[in-house]
Amino acid sequence: MQKIFTVASAEFFNVVKSKAFILTLILMPVIMGASVLLMRVSRNATDTNDRRFGYVDRSGVASPIIEAAAAARNATAAADGLPRFIPVDIDTAGKAEEVLRLELSDRVRDTELFAFVEIPSNIVDPDARAEIRYYSDHPSYQALPDWLMKTVNQAVLAERFRAASMSPALVARLTKPAAVSNLNLFERDSFGTIRAGEKVDPFRALGVPAVMMVLMFIVIMGGAPQLLNSVIEEKMSRISEVLIGSVAPFQLMMGKLLACAGGSLVLSAIYLTGALVMANKYGYVGALTPAMAGWFVLFLLMGVLIFGSIFIAIGAACTDLKDSQNMMTPVMLFMMLPVFTWGAVLRAPDSTLAIALSFLPTAAPFLMLLRIALHPGPPMWQVLLSVTLTALATAGAVWAAGRIFRTGILMQGKSASVREMLRWVRVG
Amino acid sequence: MSNAIVLREVTKRFGDLTAVNHLSLAVPSGSIYGFIGPNGSGKTTTLRMIMHILLPDDGDIQVLGSHDTAAARDQVSYLPEERGLYKKMTVRRLLRYYARLKGRRQPEIDSDIDAWMARMQLPGVLDKTIETLSKGMSQKVQFVSAVISRPSLLILDEPFSGLDPVNAQVVKDAVLEIRQRGTTVVFSTHDMATAEKMCDRIFMIFKGRKVLDGTLHDIQEQYGADTVRVRTADGAQALAGFPEVEAVNDFGQVQDVRVRGDAQAFLQHLIARTAVYQFEITRPSLEDIFVRIARPQEEAA
Repeated sequence: MQKIFTVASAEFFNVVKSKAFILTLILMPVIMGASVLLMRVSRNATDTNDRRFGYVDRSGVASPIIEAAAAARNATAAADGLPRFIPVDIDTAGKAEEVLRLELSDRVRDTELFAFVEIPSNIVDPDARAEIRYYSDHPSYQALPDWLMKTVNQAVLAERFRAASMSPALVARLTKPAAVSNLNLFERDSFGTIRAGEKVDPFRALGVPAVMMVLMFIVIMGGAPQLLNSVIEEKMSRISEVLIGSVAPFQLMMGKLLACAGGSLVLSAIYLTGALVMANKYGYVGALTPAMAGWFVLFLLMGVLIFGSIFIAIGAACTDLKDSQNMMTPVMLFMMLPVFTWGAVLRAPDSTLAIALSFLPTAAPFLMLLRIALHPGPPMWQVLLSVTLTALATAGAVWAAGRIFRTGILMQGKSASVREMLRWVRVG
Repeated sequence: MSNAIVLREVTKRFGDLTAVNHLSLAVPSGSIYGFIGPNGSGKTTTLRMIMHILLPDDGDIQVLGSHDTAAARDQVSYLPEERGLYKKMTVRRLLRYYARLKGRRQPEIDSDIDAWMARMQLPGVLDKTIETLSKGMSQKVQFVSAVISRPSLLILDEPFSGLDPVNAQVVKDAVLEIRQRGTTVVFSTHDMATAEKMCDRIFMIFKGRKVLDGTLHDIQEQYGADTVRVRTADGAQALAGFPEVEAVNDFGQVQDVRVRGDAQAFLQHLIARTAVYQFEITRPSLEDIFVRIARPQEEAA
């Protein structure tokens, strides 16, 4: 045990003093903050070039509304950071439809127009199922067709109400939808007083669990892969021979795993402390409960040990980084499974898929944690089963990695195949 | 005299290859014991088994009186042939780490580190990272990393390879000093001259089997006094065609000749052919013996 601690303490200081750790520590919040900022900026930073579009109004009802709506929009477009939509009323001059469409298409290609739109003559007739035809060379640009649909439909509906002798304003008032307020349940406090359910805070309900899971992913994926590099470096530079001459292979491996777990805990503690400070500032201090922190630490340790064992085994079996990358591919697929599925779990935490995934030991540290963080949380039997399965898998992974490490760490020359690794696990 | 290492009928196989085959040897405590043998003969495998890095398939190994080689780990240090150090670590941290792995306590480690740095002529490097050191310095640091734990048994795999003569002498002196303190030293080498000069006993392994084991004197006795060292006006050319000449090891200026039959008769024939400046009847060198053992079998293989 003393030797495991000696290895672990040396490796731990290697980890926390490494540039990679310090960069992860500093850069991760910076990258996440920058990503949020970038999303906000990119959402608002649209292309503000004018969009000239031709329109052919065969109905005779849309033209004035298009012109008026465009004028109103364009008046504030610059201030809103939006492009101006400049309508051009196309004179059909008795041209055949096909000829006119070709001519307008050429004008779009010549960039004289951005797009053109045809409003059919029977657009007002609700039974005609007529459609507005929008032609453009930029199919991914949705702002203009969306605006046109809204504007033209506004004109069409007004005309239909008028034809039915109904007031558009009255219809709008009568068809105004009732809002749904998302509230928590009522509860009785310790004094027997009934407490009304508060309005659900989307950030507290969904954001906090998501942040916990993302943090878990960052911490595990930031630390565990470094074990692979460490083992390969020691193996290639023959440091491992000296170490194995001083400690048993399993002691060496456990020292590395514990150091990695320690580094992950330090990283988590720093991030969570930062998160608590921010939560306190913005009134979310109760969002992270002690129980939640406990589950986080438990799943973090199991996740680090499972993935750390896998990376150590791969490092011991390979003689260079290139071979290890090849072997990493299937492992990465397993590692990315929570990333691919966490959205589905977030939307339906009690679905069969979510329950099944949270029992899978490689996904449980992320997805069961997510489910626990989502109110009201999974039944306790599911949590305990998930913890039990993950703990058994952790023990199995550490044991198997120990068998592979013991044999692989001294092997030079050709990297081992998966079949050979399995044989090492079986026969030692 | 007790033995630091005893191997009895030890065998190690890797798949179909038998790397070490029924090997038995005894290394007396406090001696310097030389392991020689061609590449791939089983030297490193044997050393690794002594270090408990590998386990034998058959046979028994006793290290420092214990049949449990793992138990003796803290008293045994190993310097592998292909040296590796943590490049980003400082020398001080590295040496402390290696010493602590062997169970030594921090306060006494630091004074030993200072003493060894002075002994190995490595002033001012303790707080430098390994990657900033020259190759010679790194090798000396590696040597210190092996001895910093004050081992009872020190196993060195090619300890002098790659060192310049000055640094090699520093390491040799250090090895002798360690032996004087009572440490048993086992080292493998391809440098026969060093083995001859430093080792109390020499052991040769070839194709996994023991082929030599004893003092240099015993080994040379075993191979007889059939070698003469000659220096002539015509060099090695002068030796061609003599029926008495069994083999020639040509060093350019002098030649070691293994003579079949009477050396005096060979000298008379040689004088008749060329001017002889030196004619010395010697025992076969360790290198000669090594080549005699290894070459015919290698050629046959």
